[in-house]
Amino acid sequence: MTATLGHTSILLALLFAVWGIISPILGARGNHQRYSALTRIAILAQFVLVTLAASSLIYALVTTDFSIRYVAFNTTRATPAYYRVTGLWGALEGSLLLWEWILIIFSGLVAWIYRDRQRETMPWVLMVFSIVSAFFLGVIAFVSNPFETISPVPLDGRGLNALLEDANMMTHPPLLYTGFVGLTVPYAFAMAALIRGKVDEAWIVATRRWTITAWFFLTAGNLVGAWWSYHVLGWGGYWAWDPVENAAFMPWLPATAFLHSVQVQERRRMLKVWNLSLIIIAFSLTIFGTFLTRSGILSSIHAFSSGPVGNVFLLFLSFVLLSSFGLLAFRADLLKGQPELDSMVSRESAFLLNNIVLVSALFTIFLGTIFPLLSEAIAGTQVSVGAPYFNSVTVPLFLLLVFLMGVGPMIAWRRASWDNLKRNFLWPAAASLLAGVALFIWKVRDFLPLLGFTLFAFVVLTIFYDTALALRARRRTAGEGVIRGLVTLARRNQRRYGGLVIHLGVVLVFLGIAGSMTYSIEREATMNLKEHLNVGHYLIQFEGLKGSRQPTHFRVEGSFRVFHQGDEWGVLSPALKFFPNQQSPVGRAVHRSTISEDLYLILSGFSELDKNQATLKVLVRPLVVWIWIGGFVIALGTLLAILPLGKTSPEAS
Amino acid sequence: MFKRRRFIIGGLIILAALSYIIYGGMQQAIVYFVTPSELKAKESASTDKFLRMGGMVVAGSLQKDLKNLTYRFDLTDGNASFPVFFRGVPPDLFTEGKGAVVEGRIGPDGVFQATTIMAKHAEEYSPHLEGKDGYPKSFVPGKELTQQ
Repeated sequence: MTATLGHTSILLALLFAVWGIISPILGARGNHQRYSALTRIAILAQFVLVTLAASSLIYALVTTDFSIRYVAFNTTRATPAYYRVTGLWGALEGSLLLWEWILIIFSGLVAWIYRDRQRETMPWVLMVFSIVSAFFLGVIAFVSNPFETISPVPLDGRGLNALLEDANMMTHPPLLYTGFVGLTVPYAFAMAALIRGKVDEAWIVATRRWTITAWFFLTAGNLVGAWWSYHVLGWGGYWAWDPVENAAFMPWLPATAFLHSVQVQERRRMLKVWNLSLIIIAFSLTIFGTFLTRSGILSSIHAFSSGPVGNVFLLFLSFVLLSSFGLLAFRADLLKGQPELDSMVSRESAFLLNNIVLVSALFTIFLGTIFPLLSEAIAGTQVSVGAPYFNSVTVPLFLLLVFLMGVGPMIAWRRASWDNLKRNFLWPAAASLLAGVALFIWKVRDFLPLLGFTLFAFVVLTIFYDTALALRARRRTAGEGVIRGLVTLARRNQRRYGGLVIHLGVVLVFLGIAGSMTYSIEREATMNLKEHLNVGHYLIQFEGLKGSRQPTHFRVEGSFRVFHQGDEWGVLSPALKFFPNQQSPVGRAVHRSTISEDLYLILSGFSELDKNQATLKVLVRPLVVWIWIGGFVIALGTLLAILPLGKTSPEAS
Repeated sequence: MFKRRRFIIGGLIILAALSYIIYGGMQQAIVYFVTPSELKAKESASTDKFLRMGGMVVAGSLQKDLKNLTYRFDLTDGNASFPVFFRGVPPDLFTEGKGAVVEGRIGPDGVFQATTIMAKHAEEYSPHLEGKDGYPKSFVPGKELTQQ
């Protein structure tokens, strides 16, 4: 019953999607008004139908309707209700439905918000949405159907992958999908501009807030994924350069480049082709990511089981690339003739360099990710590319990026004068060099970390210094104090100050990454009862094992008393969870965070014969907590940039 | 014209720098997949490479020292076997007669110095895995056990 309802809704929605594609084309040949209303109705109908389909799958999951194959495979009677809901994105079929649902929510929002604006463009924008939606609906309806039924109906389901039974799994996939899907908005507007042949800055201005919002969700999705990896996977790391992590991260790079380069186009009418290409690449990478995850061509912790879905995505990816770049080539004449760079020392060129660095990072990560495929196809040798590759290529690029983060927002447009440079950078540069020397004298002796920390200081100081100068000006002209002045500045130029706060957040994230990459300590030892282990400033004593039966699994917990420089911190209990339907146990690591470092304990194993012996892995990871704090700062900056707080002048940037 | 040339030169410099870091990065991070027979056949040519070798742990070859966390065993593909040394904690499924994948380099003594052991079960992360009784031996399910 539920299955029929869901599947029928999907089929009907597919019909409306096809209508949404045809209608603007008919409208272009006359009777524009009527067809644009019909196009909008097609989107709204899809919204209602897909919501109905998604709700029926959620309903089936919550009520454990095991006659639906997907439900039987992803829940059990013992699964708590909230994990039954997250079963919606626990496996391939459901996750595609979630994707489509978010897509059609975005489309619906766009159709609603612009119901009275952009009359000429909207039908084409909605057509692009309908094309993407039609593809996903087709896959859900015919290739990977979440509403497939089974008989006989099993008595109990098989349950979710145990790793997914975690609170972060409620947020990580939806956030990431929202980021991916959000990039469809600027992409759709860009394509609409190309279709109409109106390739001015209108599409960029219209999608500014959408792009920064999508970027934020992409950032948040990746950070929450890193958090999940760190807190749940229990290996003590937050990023492994796993192919699917790369797939989630890659769209972030052109999206970030795009956020910066569109400002150059808004201000100087430059980089038109570049901006269109960036958004096409960013959107294509979201489809590529899905292909990589769903095709099973690369083995990965996140990979879903393989099937024909991969090929379908590859086809759609080819279609997107060919049609988008084809359209771009078709409109090449309109995009010709733009101003040239006046000087290499200017904000334009800082933004251009930032774009080159980001695209280079994208290229290196892309190459590393697909290299095993290339190697096997061309040379016939099976290889894999490990994390050291990604670290060694991206670290120099990201350090360069940090430097540009300090320069870009402060340097003058067109041509920076010597006075401009001296005024904005002399003191921050001098102070950060001093900080670097101090760090060297203290204990940071390796080149890359020292360079990194110095550059982080540089960015933070340029931001503070610039804000301080602006505050001084406020005091002179309006007699405002620090707080009042900050409020005025932020409200007058939300985008700029939002951007600067985001930069601070990004620096904090990088600080956490740099600290934990370079100064971590790792120790592993088998301990007997009451035995202790010294790691860094910590002394850890083994106090025994405890087994307990949980609703879905059996849990073995080790108790370890922790002393930090003589102070007792209490008992930490890392555990192993044994699920009846999993061959190997799932680790539950525990950690204690402070702002300077994390202590991270992993129960690696225990004696099969004797409960008085356990093997413990201890990690001391400096500064990790700043990654998560940086994430919150980025969120604040994003809110500051997009919330309509009034008094914003659209010209300012 | 002058500007265009400057852009081309700049672009070439960037490309060269990028190729250099990619090449350098690949050199130190590529892992080659080999079987014990392949490794036996070209042992001398493989000494400086980072390798991943898959095979079966030869029954009776496993010597473990739980105090120092060291493991010695032979890995075989049916035709040839290769000695492996490992320090650390292997995954739970690692045992004699079962498949395993090791990563590391060949040491000066001709023993494979593994830095990682992965127990071989291809679908480990597939959500739909039907296992049997997954309880650890020292804890009988249903009985609440606490030490002492």
